[in-house]
Amino acid sequence: MTASASLRADALAIRRKFLRMHYEARAGHIGSGLSAIDLLTYLHGVWLRPQDRFILSKGHGASSLYATLHHFGRLSDEELATYYKDGTLLPAHPAPRAHAAIPAATGSLGHGLPIACGMAYTEKVLAARDGRVACLLSDGDCNEGSTWEAALFAGHHGLDNLVAVVDANGIQGFGRTEDVLRLEPFAKKWEAFGFDVVELDGHDFAQIEAALAAPTHGRARCLVARTVKGKGVRFMENTVDWHYWPMSEAQYAEALADLARADEVPAA
Amino acid sequence: MRVEFVKAVEAALEADPASLFITGDLGFNAFEGIAERFGARFVNAGVAEQSMVGIAAGAALAGRKPWVYSIAPFATYRCLEQIRNDVCLHDLPVRIAGNGGGFTYGIMGSTHHALEDLGVLKGLPNMQLFFPCSNDHVAAAVHAMAALAGPSYLRLAISAYATERAPLAEHGATLTRTYARRADRARPGVTVIGAGHGVQVALRALAAHALDGQNVDVFGLARFPFDLAVDAEILESARQTRDVVFVEEHYAAGGMGESIQRLLPPLTSFTLLAAAYSREQRYGSPAFHMRQCGLTPEALVDAVRVRARAAS
Repeated sequence: MTASASLRADALAIRRKFLRMHYEARAGHIGSGLSAIDLLTYLHGVWLRPQDRFILSKGHGASSLYATLHHFGRLSDEELATYYKDGTLLPAHPAPRAHAAIPAATGSLGHGLPIACGMAYTEKVLAARDGRVACLLSDGDCNEGSTWEAALFAGHHGLDNLVAVVDANGIQGFGRTEDVLRLEPFAKKWEAFGFDVVELDGHDFAQIEAALAAPTHGRARCLVARTVKGKGVRFMENTVDWHYWPMSEAQYAEALADLARADEVPAA
Repeated sequence: MRVEFVKAVEAALEADPASLFITGDLGFNAFEGIAERFGARFVNAGVAEQSMVGIAAGAALAGRKPWVYSIAPFATYRCLEQIRNDVCLHDLPVRIAGNGGGFTYGIMGSTHHALEDLGVLKGLPNMQLFFPCSNDHVAAAVHAMAALAGPSYLRLAISAYATERAPLAEHGATLTRTYARRADRARPGVTVIGAGHGVQVALRALAAHALDGQNVDVFGLARFPFDLAVDAEILESARQTRDVVFVEEHYAAGGMGESIQRLLPPLTSFTLLAAAYSREQRYGSPAFHMRQCGLTPEALVDAVRVRARAAS
């Protein structure tokens, strides 16, 4: 099995787990989790080392992070079984001080990149250690002024141990980003803020790997990862609806069948 | 208080290598020495208060203890959600210093006043508030904040009108100061309490001998949450006088007065002198603003006299 094929198998298992969690919990935020899973798979399966940190700025993607952490052995079966239930430490948006792999509570957009900058500055400048920080953002995150305040900071200080990964699925709370509050030219914006930017298909592991491996020339890195909201489940793909809705039993069965189908289609 | 703050925070930075200082692009003619001395441990986050607090939280999550500085309204209102979510929910040792509490910035106008800062912060989880009574009280607050493992806020104020009056006592933990004690405990009296530099109103009355002959205790609070088990002298005073006059350069709603009133024994009266804007608000010096809302030694003395007459 090639590295990419192995990661695709990981991502498929994580999507199945993720859908089961959402079905059992009757929980929404499915589309934005599915769009992020390939990025999360690569970051947690390959890129992050013990001394590195990961901040999920798009806190509404928490369940996709939980599923990913569980897949890679960072969350136990018992912990994951509590998801969305009374008494859990795994609510719909990450909780503070709940788990070692989740350093920060997020859920209000625009908080992740400043926190990641504080960590990256500490590692690179104050402590002179080699810790890296990855921050996963959504389109909506990039509506927030605080994200761009932090981008200025990362650019100014040349935080080349920081990677801002934008899960750019093009859909946010009430519609398409293009219609709500245009972010294009998105990659140029990050470039203008001093980032080394790679625009890529956020579901292609070879592209993700190449983007994260390329030298940053002393700059913070930004991956503008073009993704599909609802990726892997055709009836959910590219819809605003599946930002919100939970699945019925029939929809869950259809979603699982669709994932299996997608798995049989060889990647281009 | 800024001069005293710079001196105290410089000592705190010197004492703790894990600490750093982040400013929101303010502190001209104040922090140059810190910038020079501490290099990368001095960070100018730019005019970006939300990011500044998030960066501080990130540094704290990575094991550091940041001080964060701006003027009081910018350091609190603009970044309130970052203070709540990023700092307080994670119980991080981020120490926020806001310069210009109350009407300090006077003629700079209402955007620069901070009359609700303590109110918006006091309900946040794990947050502790410090509000020194005068310049010579700042170092103790900075020292106490530096020892905390969780979040804190320091309300600095101008001292142009301040009276540096040596307290009769200062509690090491609460920082509460006793400035005057009743001459005759058997006689009816009044308990005067000021929050932070609000107590200056009473100190000026004392300095002008306007309270001579009045049987008053005068206390200055400087730390929230209150601990009246420790500040037993305040509790005992209120128990005996049953008449409290409270003064604060802050809106009454959300202020320190309403918070302490809850903790006091049943009183005959609780008179609150607080700040507020009027619909026809005009702008001027801090003293002008204090006069506008009745935060004057004369008003305080009147309030004390009214209570004394009622009791006799």
